[in-house]
Amino acid sequence: MSKKKRILFVCATGIATSTVVEEKVCNYLRSQGIDFEADQRNVGSVPSIGNDFDLIVATTQIPYEVNAPVISGLSILTGLGADETLQKIKDILAK
Amino acid sequence: MEGIYKGLYDFVQYFLGLGAIVMLPIVIFVLALCFRIKPSKAFRSALTVGIGFVGVFTIFSLMGDQVGPAAKAIVTRTGLNLPDVDLGWAPLSAITWGSVIAPFAIVLTLIVNLVMLAFKWTKTVDIDIWNYWHFAFAGALVYIATGNFFLGLLATGIAAVVIIKIADWCAPLTQKYCNLPGISLPTLSSAVFFPIGLLGNWILDKIPGLNKLQADPVHIQKRFGIFGEPMMIGFILGVLLGLLAGYDFKGILTLAIYLAAVMYILPRMVRILMDGLIPVSDGVKDFMAKRFPDRKDFYIGLDIAVAVGNPAIIATGLLLTPISILLAFIVPGNETLPVADLSNLAVFCSMIVVACNQNIVRAVIISIPCLIGDLLICSAASPLITQLATTVGYDISAAGGSNITAFLDGGNPFRYLIYQVFSGNVVAVVIAVVVAVLVFLTYKLTYKQTHPEAVEN
Repeated sequence: MSKKKRILFVCATGIATSTVVEEKVCNYLRSQGIDFEADQRNVGSVPSIGNDFDLIVATTQIPYEVNAPVISGLSILTGLGADETLQKIKDILAK
Repeated sequence: MEGIYKGLYDFVQYFLGLGAIVMLPIVIFVLALCFRIKPSKAFRSALTVGIGFVGVFTIFSLMGDQVGPAAKAIVTRTGLNLPDVDLGWAPLSAITWGSVIAPFAIVLTLIVNLVMLAFKWTKTVDIDIWNYWHFAFAGALVYIATGNFFLGLLATGIAAVVIIKIADWCAPLTQKYCNLPGISLPTLSSAVFFPIGLLGNWILDKIPGLNKLQADPVHIQKRFGIFGEPMMIGFILGVLLGLLAGYDFKGILTLAIYLAAVMYILPRMVRILMDGLIPVSDGVKDFMAKRFPDRKDFYIGLDIAVAVGNPAIIATGLLLTPISILLAFIVPGNETLPVADLSNLAVFCSMIVVACNQNIVRAVIISIPCLIGDLLICSAASPLITQLATTVGYDISAAGGSNITAFLDGGNPFRYLIYQVFSGNVVAVVIAVVVAVLVFLTYKLTYKQTHPEAVEN
């Protein structure tokens, strides 16, 4: 059995926009039957904990170097192109 | 007839007396139904908001219990008088959501935005419903000061119009620097500082020597990265306050760990509140999208949070953290100890950084007078904010009898100016006129900078 994938949701304060994105992404992934863990932080915390995650979904730029792939969650906020972004997230976790 | 009127009055009074923890879920439930959300989902959402409220208030008292006595000890030991506790924007928004004016302010802001769009006065479709509280807060302050509900709503409307216009104004720059195509940022707490940043940048550009200075964001992030994590800010601040209060080893570490806990847990509690608002937020989004299906030439108005990842903005926010603490101790007349809002300085400075074309040195120079203003204003506004908090059921004894305020959002100069103007302060009216003229001049002076496409043509 493979280890559970961990997703980090990031925005400026770790409160508002990342909550919306986290809710949408988690609902989608659960509906697809994917097993995962999620956490949420402000962007300033990324340098110290970012490398503990398999994927970072951020509503803002991540101005640091991290090992995990970073996906922009902006489309999920605006609704334009949200489906493609969700699909991309699923593909990364399925690897 | 009089009996009916009396009955209605009693009912409204009873409703208001329920307190935010009961009243806000009821309001959210009704709002959700208005946006055609299923009753079961609306109920769940309303209950979640109530739970978030309980969480916020709990952490809030925890903070008061710790910071209150330390602040008193600091006063007796050093003579520094910083009795007002900075809660940060999050509890302030919770308090505003719980105020009577909030549900009306949400609907009003929507109408204002729709009217502006219909008359082509703006390109911004503001779907960022969480930040409607900024407008509602302006209204709540005016309502508390004047006792007139309609003046409160008027203040909300004015705040909304001005901020939506500023969002249009800075959109070309935020789109360019923050990689946000088709997006504008109508968040009051940062938008207000955009004209100040533009004017400041224009002036600094004329000063020989100073106009050559640059700083490297990567280097600053490495040196000051510790201020990026709220828990670290809390811990460092706790140690500092413990030392100033003359606590022993155990006391210092206890305070530091409690403050780290507050900074770490508070966003999680607010998050619950936000979770509960998602269905209503989605309802608003659909509502706007249906009315303006051709969104191609519109900007979608989002939370300023999406811009804050810009390296120059983060670096400026990190630099301003120790600067703010220092300012709090040395600015005469300041009575506020910045705590919770210290982790939100990147939000505060974001539009200044953008206005300075991402020059960190200039952004810091312009931010300092703004922060001094914020400190003085949030100290002056603390009795009013405390009063507003009590009307939604906050127990004043929680902060050891100290007044509460919020460093950045309680100290916002634009909202305070609106409040002063509506309170009939003649000086404030004059200042408002001067500010309006200055903003207009700034618009003309910096026209090329904010209209890159006009230059190319």
